[in-house]
This record gives sequence, structure tokens and C-alpha cells, in this order.
Amino acid sequence: MRVTIPGLRGGLIPFAAVVVVLAVLPVLGMPREWLLYLFLFFIYLAMANMWNLLAGYSGLICLCPAAFVGVAGYTVAIGTWVGLPFYLGIIAGAIAAVAFALLISFPVFRLRGIYFAIGTLVLPEVLKAWFLLWRPVGGVMVGRGAGYAVKGVQGVSLTEWYWVALVIGIASIFLMRIILSSKLGLGLAAIRDNDDTAASSGIDVFRLKLYSFVIAAFIMGMAGAIFYSYGGYIEPVGAFSIRWLLIALLATVIGGEGIKEGPIIGTAIVVILHFLLARYTGISLLIQGALLIIIMLLVPQGIVGYIQKTRAYRLLSKLASGR
Amino acid sequence: MEVLAGLTTPIVFGILLGGLYTLIALGLSLVFGVMKVINVAHGDLVIFGSYLAFAAMTMLGIDPILSLVMGMPLLFVIGFGVQRFLLNRAFAVSLDAALLVCFGLSIIFQNFCQIIWTPFSRSLKPPYALESFSVGVVNIPLVYLLDLVTALVVMLLLREFLRRTYLGKAINAASQDTKAALLMGINTGRVYAFAFAIAMAFAAIAGVFLGLTYPFTPTSGVAFLIIAFGVVIVGGLGSMLGTLIGGMVFGLAQTLGGYFLGAVAQMFVAYILVFVILAVRPQGIFGR
Repeated sequence: MRVTIPGLRGGLIPFAAVVVVLAVLPVLGMPREWLLYLFLFFIYLAMANMWNLLAGYSGLICLCPAAFVGVAGYTVAIGTWVGLPFYLGIIAGAIAAVAFALLISFPVFRLRGIYFAIGTLVLPEVLKAWFLLWRPVGGVMVGRGAGYAVKGVQGVSLTEWYWVALVIGIASIFLMRIILSSKLGLGLAAIRDNDDTAASSGIDVFRLKLYSFVIAAFIMGMAGAIFYSYGGYIEPVGAFSIRWLLIALLATVIGGEGIKEGPIIGTAIVVILHFLLARYTGISLLIQGALLIIIMLLVPQGIVGYIQKTRAYRLLSKLASGR
Repeated sequence: MEVLAGLTTPIVFGILLGGLYTLIALGLSLVFGVMKVINVAHGDLVIFGSYLAFAAMTMLGIDPILSLVMGMPLLFVIGFGVQRFLLNRAFAVSLDAALLVCFGLSIIFQNFCQIIWTPFSRSLKPPYALESFSVGVVNIPLVYLLDLVTALVVMLLLREFLRRTYLGKAINAASQDTKAALLMGINTGRVYAFAFAIAMAFAAIAGVFLGLTYPFTPTSGVAFLIIAFGVVIVGGLGSMLGTLIGGMVFGLAQTLGGYFLGAVAQMFVAYILVFVILAVRPQGIFGR
């Protein structure tokens, strides 16, 4: 049996070429700082792709990426304290995020629209409050908060982490394409446009939304687990911070919600912004908040959406298809 | 009997704290009722109000409650501008866009406070903040009593405003049915702007009393947003009494949670309660 991935056939060769170039970059002697920003790019790209799947394609304004990231990150960290090596811990972390997503899906999927958004907004706060109190292993709690070092990651170089992040980033792009060209993607599009109509044409709304929620939890969890394994330390305030939501949300909105290519462009812009404003943490967030509002009001379809509407792009795509 | 005597203090404190939560929730409820959007920046705007009073107290030596003479008009103007120039445009895009714009505002106000006033914990401590008096076995701090009294006064004023003035009636009409209100010749865009501005003036009041009751940091906003949302859900939209009861439910959840599970678990209990209420009855208990 031959497996075909319809959305990919045309662009597979240039896509593969880009991936190969990205993969050999560290060997070619790329500066450490650049590698670090590319590492962040791939982690954020995975987050943004999944946020796009939720908000852009499934109509779920999910405000809890930090919950998945934090749960997975803590699974890795605590896992290394009880003897689980971190590379297995990353997978365990993603599975823990999925388990968490399944657990909370019972209450939050009863909610719709704005109630769903607020319901998910509560989750990272609950987890933060919980992890500030709970210290399962590693002796007594010192001060406020259960901070954990991830053990056994000292030997791993940035280059290796870069490759791991590359895999998750590229995997998230592939996954999006596969989902969108599958029956799941079609069902999700129908739900996004109108739940009731979709339900009456025989689509199991709850189940499809749950699928995309669980897939997003898995990838976001894995991205978070990789991030915290690289960082080597996790603490509740950072792990369950609203910053994770802002990154995924901003990258998706800048690029274009509900557009496959949107998060790639959006994440690139977010990472460049982080790079430019690295020294001014407070102002950086302030500017990101302002940018979110400006994009939302002036170009709600995002940059990619805007470009796709311009005359030059249409002309080019007509030329490309009619050759 | 000893358990009961021990319980008196958390119960009295919880009811009084309910006043504070009602104050915080009133602005959120007004905006939610009229525009059907949760202003996720509400908590941060309340904290911004606390910081304004803090600045007035430390720099000009003005009493926090008196500083509301400046704080309320300032937040009123900010609120009017936000609604007029940002949210009204976002509504033209979609309801989700409005939610995301509010989220952007939340990030902006949070970090603005962080830049100006540093991330350290602050509190409003005028001389009367430490005073207390005893009723029977309970020793009540004056500030806690002020929370409840202010909440009752503000609620009464809001009720009379909504019933008696043209603007109040227009707000009420727009919250019941925007299209019908528009057809009756009400300028809904302007009504929205005034509703948001009034909600922000309430946020200023709530901010001052929050600062008198609790220490606050620039990131405290989210916690109070979640509690205020819980209060709105319990109280339902358009029910003042419901909002007051909702506030007390959360005040009691917090103090009783603290009494039985230790002070650190207070917030945890309140969050779980929000979550349970959302899951069981999202349309509220006293709602229409």
C-alpha cells in the first residue's frame, strides 16, 4: 500500500532541501546565539502550529498552552529525580499533557465560546497554585515554590537540542498538513464555520474537537518538555506563565489564524522581536501586547492572509499554476 | 462548640471579603452584560487602580480613598478611549478579536505597572489600615468592614443610575437586546463606551480597596480576574443581589478554605470553585 500525503506532493522537494540546510547549520559553524534563537523558533513554531489548529481550525480559543507546557516540563523534571532518563521523560511529558487534556476535557468541553476561553484560562493558575504547594520528591520545600533541576542533561550540547527542536518543529508542520487533508480536517472546518450545521450533518462535534485538543496537548507538551530539558530547571511561576499563551497566540495572529503557512511567518517575526528586545524584558512584553492589538485591529487576517489578498500574489500564483 | 467558635472568624471575614470581590466583579459584570465579552484585562486594570492610589499616597501623600477623586476620572477616560478606539473596532471583526484585544491590554497594563513600580509586592497602608474593633469574639479589621460597606453603597448607586438616568436605561436596553436598542434610536457605540468607562471607574474603586485589604504585585490581576469571573458566573448577569451573594460565596470559600486547609491553599480552593461552577452550571445560579 502506498501512503500519499496530498497536501505535500508538490512542495516536498524544496521543503526537504530547506530542512536539510537547517539540519546541517550547526555543523557549518553557526554562532551559538543564532542556534539558540533557531532552537526557540522551532519550539515556538510547534506551539503556534498547535494553537492555529485549535483557534484557527477548530474554533477553540484555548488559553491554556501553559498548562500543557508546565505539566510536561514537570513530568520530565520529576521523572529525572526518580530515575527516568530525560529522553524518555520528554515522551512521558507529552503523554502526561495528553492525560491532563483528557481529564479536563470533561468539564471544559461543556463550555462554549467565551466560557471555554475563561475555563481554560483558569487551568494554568490552578496548576501554578498547586505546584507552589506540592513537592513530591527531592526533600523539603525551601521557600515558596517547588523548583526542580532536570538531572542528567549536562552532557547534551546545544547542537543536539537544536536537532531535537528541529524535529518537533518540522513534525508539527507535517502534522498540520496531514490533519488538514484528512477527514478530521474537513470535519473541523465544518465545525468552525457552524457547530450546529456540522452536528446535524452527522459530524461528532465533541469527538473531533477532543481529537484536536489532545493532539495539540501532545505536541505542546513535547515542545515544553524539550524546552525545559534544555533549560535544565523548572519552577511554577515560569512554567505556568501566561507568556506561553502570548507566544503561541501572537505568532498565530501575526501570521494569520486559520492559514497553514501563517504560524511559520508569525513565529519568525516573534523570534526576531524577542532577539531585538532581549535586553528589555518588560518593554518587550509591552510591545508584544501592543502588537497583538494593532494586528488584530488593522490586519485581522494576519500578514500571510493579507499578502494572499494582494493583486501581485494572485498574479504570481496564477502564473505558477498555469505554466 | 469550640469548632463553631473557631468558625465564626472565617465566616465573618468571608462575608466582609465578599464585599471586596463584589466590588471587583461589578465592572466585569457590567461589561460582560452589555458587550458579551469578558474583559480579561479587568484584573490588571483593577491592579492599575491600586498602583495609582499607591503613587498618590507615596508621592503626594494623599489618602488612598481620597485619591479616587483623581483615579476614577482617569480610569473613566482610559476606559472610554479603549472602548471607542479599540474595542468598538474589534467588535466589527469578531467577538474573538475583542477577547484577544482585551488580552493584549492585559499584557500592556501588567507590564506597564511592572516597569513603573517594579515587580515587588506593595500595599496601601494609611494609618487606619491597621485599626480593628471587636464584636463579640471576632476582631474585625476596619478595612474589611469598609470593603463591604463600599460595595453596598456602589451597588445602590449603580442600581439607581441604571434605573433613573437616560444613560442608565440605555445601557440596560443595550444589554438586553442590542439590535432592538439600536432600532429605538440608542447610539449603542456611545453606550458601550460609557458602560466600559463606568466599569473602569469601578475598577479604580475596587483597586483602592483591594490595595487596602491585600498586598499586590503587577501580576496579581489574573487571580482577581478569575475570582471576579466566578462571582459573575454565580451571580448571573443583571442580578445585583446575585453578584453580592456570588462575592460572599468566594469570600467564604477563601476564608473557610484557609481555615481548613491552611492559608496557602486559599486561592486554590477559590479557583477550583470557579472551575466546578463553570462545569456544572455555566449560565449561573441567579442568572436570567
